Amino acid sequence: MEPILNVKNITKAFSGVRVLKNVSLTVNRGEIHCLVGENGCGKSTLVKCVSGVYTPDEGEIVLNGQRFTKLTTQQAIQNGVQVIYQDMSLFRHMSVAENIAIEKIRAKGARLINWKDVAGIAAEQTRKINVKIDLEKEIFECPIAIRQLTAICRALAHDAKILVMDEPTTALTKNEVSQLLTIVQELKSQGMSIIFISHKLDEVFSVADVITVIRNGEKIGDYNRAEINEKRLSELMTGREIDYPRYRRDFTENTPLLEVKGLSRKGHFNDISFTLRKGDIVGMIGLLGSGRSEIAMSLFGLNPIDSGEIFVSGEKVSIAAPQDAKRRGIALLPEDRFREGLFTDLKIKENVSSTVIDEISPRGCLDFSEEDRLAEKCIETFKVRAPSRETVVRSLSGGNQQKIVIGKWVETKPNIFIMDSPTVGIDIGSKAEIYEQIHNFAKNGMAFLLISDEVEEILANCNRVLILEKGRIKTILEAQDLRQPDAKKLILEEIGSRDLQPDTEPSTK
Amino acid sequence: MKFTIDRYQKILIFIIAAYCAFVGFVNPAFFSITTVFDIIRTSSTSLIFAIGLLVVMISGGIDVSFMAIALFGSYTTINIMIAYGIDNLAFAVGLSIIFGAVLGLINASLINWLKLPPFIITLGTQNLFHGIMTTFVSDKSFGAGVLPPCLNQFGRATLFQIQTGSGTIGLSASILPVVFVALATWGLINFTMIGRGIVAVGNDEESARRIGFSPARIRYYVYVWSGILAGLTGIVYVAQINALYPNKLIGGELPIVAAVVIGGAKITGGDGKVFGAILGVLLIYLLNSTLILIGLSSSWNDLFIGSVLVASIATSSYQERIRNRKNLIFTD
Amino acid sequence: MTNSLKKKFFNDINFTILIGLLIAAIVLSAIFLPGGMFSAANIKSMAFQIPEFGFLALAMMLSNLIGGIDLSIISAANTIAIFTAFVLNGTWLPALPEEARIPAGLVVAILTALIFGVFNGLLISKTSAPSLIASLGTMILFQGIGMALTGGVSIGNIAFEFTDFGKAEWAGIPLIFWLFLGAAILLALLLEKTAFGRKFYLYGENKVAARFSGINNEKVCIATFVMTALLAGIAGLIVLSRVNSAKVGYGSSYLLQTIIVCVIGGISPNGGKGRVRGVFIAIVLMQLMSSAFTMLSLSPYTKKLIWGVVLILVLSLNHWIRNLNDSIKKEK
Ligand SMILES: Nc1ncnc2c1ncn2[C@@H]1O[C@H](COP(=O)(O)OP(=O)(O)OP(=O)(O)O)[C@@H](O)[C@H]1O
Ligand SMILES: [Mg+2]
Repeated sequence: MEPILNVKNITKAFSGVRVLKNVSLTVNRGEIHCLVGENGCGKSTLVKCVSGVYTPDEGEIVLNGQRFTKLTTQQAIQNGVQVIYQDMSLFRHMSVAENIAIEKIRAKGARLINWKDVAGIAAEQTRKINVKIDLEKEIFECPIAIRQLTAICRALAHDAKILVMDEPTTALTKNEVSQLLTIVQELKSQGMSIIFISHKLDEVFSVADVITVIRNGEKIGDYNRAEINEKRLSELMTGREIDYPRYRRDFTENTPLLEVKGLSRKGHFNDISFTLRKGDIVGMIGLLGSGRSEIAMSLFGLNPIDSGEIFVSGEKVSIAAPQDAKRRGIALLPEDRFREGLFTDLKIKENVSSTVIDEISPRGCLDFSEEDRLAEKCIETFKVRAPSRETVVRSLSGGNQQKIVIGKWVETKPNIFIMDSPTVGIDIGSKAEIYEQIHNFAKNGMAFLLISDEVEEILANCNRVLILEKGRIKTILEAQDLRQPDAKKLILEEIGSRDLQPDTEPSTK
Repeated sequence: MKFTIDRYQKILIFIIAAYCAFVGFVNPAFFSITTVFDIIRTSSTSLIFAIGLLVVMISGGIDVSFMAIALFGSYTTINIMIAYGIDNLAFAVGLSIIFGAVLGLINASLINWLKLPPFIITLGTQNLFHGIMTTFVSDKSFGAGVLPPCLNQFGRATLFQIQTGSGTIGLSASILPVVFVALATWGLINFTMIGRGIVAVGNDEESARRIGFSPARIRYYVYVWSGILAGLTGIVYVAQINALYPNKLIGGELPIVAAVVIGGAKITGGDGKVFGAILGVLLIYLLNSTLILIGLSSSWNDLFIGSVLVASIATSSYQERIRNRKNLIFTD
Repeated sequence: MTNSLKKKFFNDINFTILIGLLIAAIVLSAIFLPGGMFSAANIKSMAFQIPEFGFLALAMMLSNLIGGIDLSIISAANTIAIFTAFVLNGTWLPALPEEARIPAGLVVAILTALIFGVFNGLLISKTSAPSLIASLGTMILFQGIGMALTGGVSIGNIAFEFTDFGKAEWAGIPLIFWLFLGAAILLALLLEKTAFGRKFYLYGENKVAARFSGINNEKVCIATFVMTALLAGIAGLIVLSRVNSAKVGYGSSYLLQTIIVCVIGGISPNGGKGRVRGVFIAIVLMQLMSSAFTMLSLSPYTKKLIWGVVLILVLSLNHWIRNLNDSIKKEK
């Protein structure tokens, strides 16, 4: 076995927060190496160090026996590293064909573009993975699944030595996924090394030779597939045999706080109906592009609906903007806390008060002492670890930042709290604290709509789950279903990542 | 990639054609070869400027110093030629282009280094370049008599001439650099790796970096190219007006920006067509030069151009916003 | 330096530097222009000159603080002044009695400013057009309105009570300077102490997060551009009152200077950061320099060079300070 990639003791920090701590990784030729770990544990950051997008603060990378402390993207590509980035990294105003072909042509050192080559490469790649895509369309016109396929084709077009796939299947259907996994196996047999990242452990088990577990920026260990099972793996990922306390709704009052009837938006979701009662925590889970974030945005006034009705406390409402939602007692914790949730260059107190500016401004003048008080209260309630309320939010850790976003919405005293992936990139400690707070608020009557990729999170918090597929509610699981011992398996099956028939037999090499 | 006319360009062509038909209907004198030749001659410098600016805008930047660069290049070059008695068009063009390239390089370096909005930086360099020229080179005007004769020869040269009722008129040779620049830039953008890099950086700098382009280097190419075109235009301009002033051109940047925007270039980068920019300039020139023919004084120019510009910005930005919102992308 | 002192110094380093620059400018001009700069006459004339430029600079500051730029302020100022002049000299509403002209003129000025501001605000907030390009469009449009109405000639012959206003003094200080001072203080209070001001800063800092916090972005944006247009309108009226006439194209060289003043005053071109007091000092600084230039009878070209150098220098200095700041943070 000869290693083709050797990552040695890499450390990487963003504005003071260390997201990779002394991580090492060895990938051999012709090996499928899976990286697993919770959301935000640093997988993508590690990948970006390997591909030269980030320069690690410490440590070095050995590629094909060549040592790099400052690897550039060009050097990485020259050394045969190809990455399917999680965000796909495509060019909006370029055609699918060009997106697929440009990197390959560039890397060959061509100065000129021959558009016949572009078309040829693109056609060949789409044929290879057996999909039909309109190659002339520009990317911004394509749905998310096509974009993901384009990103895959682009990486495959290259004769890579190391192919890194950062969650390449989040938007794909079962057929497309199994097609892809077959190709991955094929590439391996041709001697390519593959780093495969996925949250779907069945995918991981069906292709992996070696599995590396990362937790909270630290490497936990390398495991051969044969020596580990799914249960053990999730324990390693989360760090303990955590059993988050489960939430139980004990209200007898069943009048709905939020009622949604036949909500539709073309291309997003179709005929969505559900209710949230006092103390409900309803989970929403499904593939990327299944419509979950789209529904959340619609309820918050950021995604106009074509048809359907929304009732808040029995009253029919139209929510055309977030300020309408806020007035109706609806809060949203957005998915991207940096861009959508926080004013990262401002202080904690200014973030906390951002949702209640009018409320703390009698006669239009800001009451600064009230602002301070709110900030202190938030810091105390959520156990935010920060030097003071004057601290700039950018310098906090992910978990504390997220507490600020939750805190700023709690100030509005919402009845309905929509949370889109609330614990992405958050350490276990903060995660447990956030769950505890969610349970507390729910026990006091707040209703939650919880969007998550993590089945554990859904199980720990929800008393009902909506499983979405292609913009429709496919299944609804009630509290008693969720208490079944095989609830997790059931949910995973329903999401649709299970019918790959993973060969659970440990293969002998 | 074939040369295609997209929907937006079709709309522009339609507007231009409809407007021409209207003007010709009100004033049949408009339909003459003289008009065509006139528009070609007078718009030639703007066309080259617009094409240079287009490249910058495709890369996601903006430049308001190109007029200062054109002036700097041509004025300094011709001063040198007068001082040393050089009379050679190739020398004039060559040296002016070199000046343009160097100033473009300065723009790119500042933008790469300071990482601030290029509008503010090039607004600064616009004044800097012009100030340096007038302070350290000269600030005198030169009339036709002193200029190297080769310039005027080029300015008056025609490719061919046609007999019309009111005399002979010819197609100005100024069209040659325009055609050359248009083709070269079209080729650059569509058929070279640098050109695709420019488009890639304009689309998404981070993604471009990930597949191995260097955004900083791309910016050097972009601003140097724009500087080169500006240097060239400076000479064409002087040749046409057959006099050299230290304060011409400056201040005319924003209408060119307007033309390129009307031509469909996105200020957010990544999209823009040479043919679109040409149509944009032509539309503005038509409005500028033909209002008199339909009985309006030229003081109505800005009102018309402003309305067209606002309408085009509003529609294209709104479409982009709808598309983004549909993908749950919020930019504001 | 102790750590906390160091921190304090770096926290408001921009303001510290500004004060330093101001003192340096005062000392330098006291040494090199004794009698000239600080004669009572000159101080008074500076106080007369500051407001017209100062109001424009405050308008530019508002647009910069929300991370944009408003190129239309000067053409808005001129066109508002033209409208007002038409009322004041009786061309419009000739039936109005003489004494009602000034109030009517003010009403027209305010209404025009409101319309211009709302137009800009709607265009930018409803279509997500980048303000640079959108305001370029409205700049040409507003100018076009003024041009179409006047044909480019200056509109004068206005009621002389109005021209008195520009010359009036109170406590030995020009009334318009009091007006400017009052406006600056009011603006500072509005931005820093009120609910609107907070939303305004949040919007400038991160528009998307502001929207996701339930702030009505459209409202904030429109309000900002209305204030911008009002401030520009006041500048226009001051010019009208001082030079006795209104004209398209007046003060076009102010555009660069307003941007320079904002940069020097510590307003981040990316929005969200900066305070009125910094801009106020920068305005005074700018006026000191302008006066010195006039006394030294520098050519307009030399001035240009200096402004260009100043802008690039300040941007570089800011960049350097930022890096220094970051490296200090890293050490910690
Ligand atoms: N550019 C950045 N600036 C600041 N923080 C960042 C940046 N990129 C990532 N982070 C933070 O670093 C941590 C690790 O992020 P990373 O994307 O590597 O996680 P991940 O393991 O890939 O998660 P996921 O499974 O959700 O993709 C997160 O807390 C994230 O918020
Ligand atoms: Mg990731």
